[in-house]
Amino acid sequence: MLLSLAWKNIWRNKKRSLIIIAAITFGLWGGIFSSAIMVGMMESMVETAISRDLSHIQIHKKDYDKDKDVRNFIPDGINVLDNIRSVKGIRAASGRTKIIGMAASPSSSYGVEIIGIVPEDSKQVTDIYAKLIEGSYFKSDRKNPILIGRKLAERLNLKLRSKVVLSFQNLEGGIAYIACRVVGIFKTNSSQFDEMNVYVAQGDMFRILESDPIIHEIAIRSESVETIDLVRDNLLILFSNLQVESWKDMAPELAYLSQTTGIYMYIFVGIILFALLFGITNTMLMSVVDRIRELGVLIAIGMKKSKVFIMIVLESVLLSLTGGFCGIGVGVLTIAYYGNNGIDLTAISGSLESFGATTILYPFLPAMMYIILTIMIVIAANIAALLPAWKATHLVPSEAIRTY
Amino acid sequence: MALIEITNLDRIYNTSAVPVHAVRDVTCNIEKQEFMAVVGPSGSGKTTLLNIIGGLDKPTSGKVVIDGIDLSTMPQSKLVDYRLGHIGFVFQAYNLIPVFTARENVEFIMLLQGVNKKERENRAIDLLKQVGLSERINSRPAQLSGGEQQRVAVARALASRPAFVLADEPTANLDTESAESLLDLMEELNDKYVMTFIFSTHDARVMRRARRIVSLQDGKIVEDKVVTPEKKQ
Ligand SMILES: Nc1ncnc2c1ncn2[C@@H]1O[C@H](COP(=O)(O)OP(=O)(O)OP(=O)(O)O)[C@@H](O)[C@H]1O
Ligand SMILES: [Mg+2]
Repeated sequence: MLLSLAWKNIWRNKKRSLIIIAAITFGLWGGIFSSAIMVGMMESMVETAISRDLSHIQIHKKDYDKDKDVRNFIPDGINVLDNIRSVKGIRAASGRTKIIGMAASPSSSYGVEIIGIVPEDSKQVTDIYAKLIEGSYFKSDRKNPILIGRKLAERLNLKLRSKVVLSFQNLEGGIAYIACRVVGIFKTNSSQFDEMNVYVAQGDMFRILESDPIIHEIAIRSESVETIDLVRDNLLILFSNLQVESWKDMAPELAYLSQTTGIYMYIFVGIILFALLFGITNTMLMSVVDRIRELGVLIAIGMKKSKVFIMIVLESVLLSLTGGFCGIGVGVLTIAYYGNNGIDLTAISGSLESFGATTILYPFLPAMMYIILTIMIVIAANIAALLPAWKATHLVPSEAIRTY
Repeated sequence: MALIEITNLDRIYNTSAVPVHAVRDVTCNIEKQEFMAVVGPSGSGKTTLLNIIGGLDKPTSGKVVIDGIDLSTMPQSKLVDYRLGHIGFVFQAYNLIPVFTARENVEFIMLLQGVNKKERENRAIDLLKQVGLSERINSRPAQLSGGEQQRVAVARALASRPAFVLADEPTANLDTESAESLLDLMEELNDKYVMTFIFSTHDARVMRRARRIVSLQDGKIVEDKVVTPEKKQ
């Protein structure tokens, strides 16, 4: 009955309540939607980096990252790769033979990272095959096929079917050469990546190196994003002599950014709620002042201060939650709409590209944030109710009835 | 022992520059089932006296003892509970919660007392029948006439099963006919439930319906007489 009284009291002055509800709705909607854009941008940056090259988990020989020498391959790498494929929670794994070298065309040369892959294995882990803008994914009968990025193609003046010579250090410390044919040109969201990475078939590299198969890096996709850390920990135990890292370990700046985006969102919405708090306080104060006589009568007939207090707090909470749910509702709808259709950012994509973000943005907000948001609204409503409730409970009933 | 014993009651307001002596040395006993009017011109201290009897105001000196309990020394927090459990209030106007129906208004005070839902409903409907509003149970105050609203207020006052009912100018906002009929109702309830009624008025016609009239002037009792009430012609 107290709840129903509080609810009915809100609607006594419809105009006043609707104004504050509208303010809360728009404030929260704005907060939620811009947060979703930030989170969406963040997720897409992470997702892009993961599927371009990072993958979920990578395995190297210990200290490989300190010295990317050709000889720092994973001992018995092919066997390790086979074993990893049978570990629980792993969807796919791909071995990479990575050597720093030079790519030279008749006109110019440029330092690149040569990545030797088994094309079909790599397809399971990363999506370079989907980023081809010209040519095909190693579907060629040419000798020594190579995939290069568009940026490198521009720099070295290369076209499809052009010849490019790669030179790199071999296992004995000498220089090895391989003449390749461009069979595909890819373009990812990062021009920097496109400039610095070329893909060749692993077999061709082993032939030139005159060595047994060697692998410097194993890239792994886990079955689900949630279990990445679990799988990593498991692999750490199984391969304690190797370096096992999740994408968060490898790209801590990316992980940090995605984490701070979440915190930033709460601060952002918190500031909006803080501003709204004054509006709610004002509305509730007016509502209390309007009812001084009535509250006086209620206290006179025996309504305890604590009950009056609860009633005012309930009114504030119901008022705020009505606005809050409207705002969340509108927010969810717009996020759902743009989450499906995307927001086209091609107009400003130039600046985003080098940054590694996609040009179509899909705003997104994790479900947990809605729950925390609702709690934040309730807290704000309680704070906003303090002053009005204090005023209501400190009425002297005889005065309130006499003067109003 | 009388139901209410008032001894040497004084109330001085110091809120303005000149202290106002609103109640001066009032002493009187009120017995169970009295039907008593406090009368006097405007500013004579009727409201102040009723407020002190009802535990809404504290005397400057003197005391009010109800059923052996001294209200003047009771702390505010306990007074609320005391009022809820022992005193029924009817004010001049705007007694009711506007967003509640007649029934909900009567139920609300029982909710405060912690009466369960079923009993609340039954008692509210029963009381509204008693005050002649069986047809208006689900009407909100705005849909009721002034007289009907005061009847709901009387029903609410009785709903808490108080020791007595205090009504400060209950008829002041009513036309003669509604005022008479409200008094009929109060009289009937006074009889039927052995309920003590103390009401204030400065209306001579209302005054004549009382069985005891206490006249105030400048806060002093100038006359206290038992009368045979004139019945409505
Ligand atoms: N809170 C207060 N502060 C100061 N003076 C007050 C206060 N309440 C009442 N008074 C004064 O006390 C005196 C008695 O007031 P009270 O309201 O009791 O009279 P009343 O008989 O009820 O008058 P009315 O018939 O107009 O209702 C008046 O002079 C009034 O101005
Ligand atoms: Mg008065």
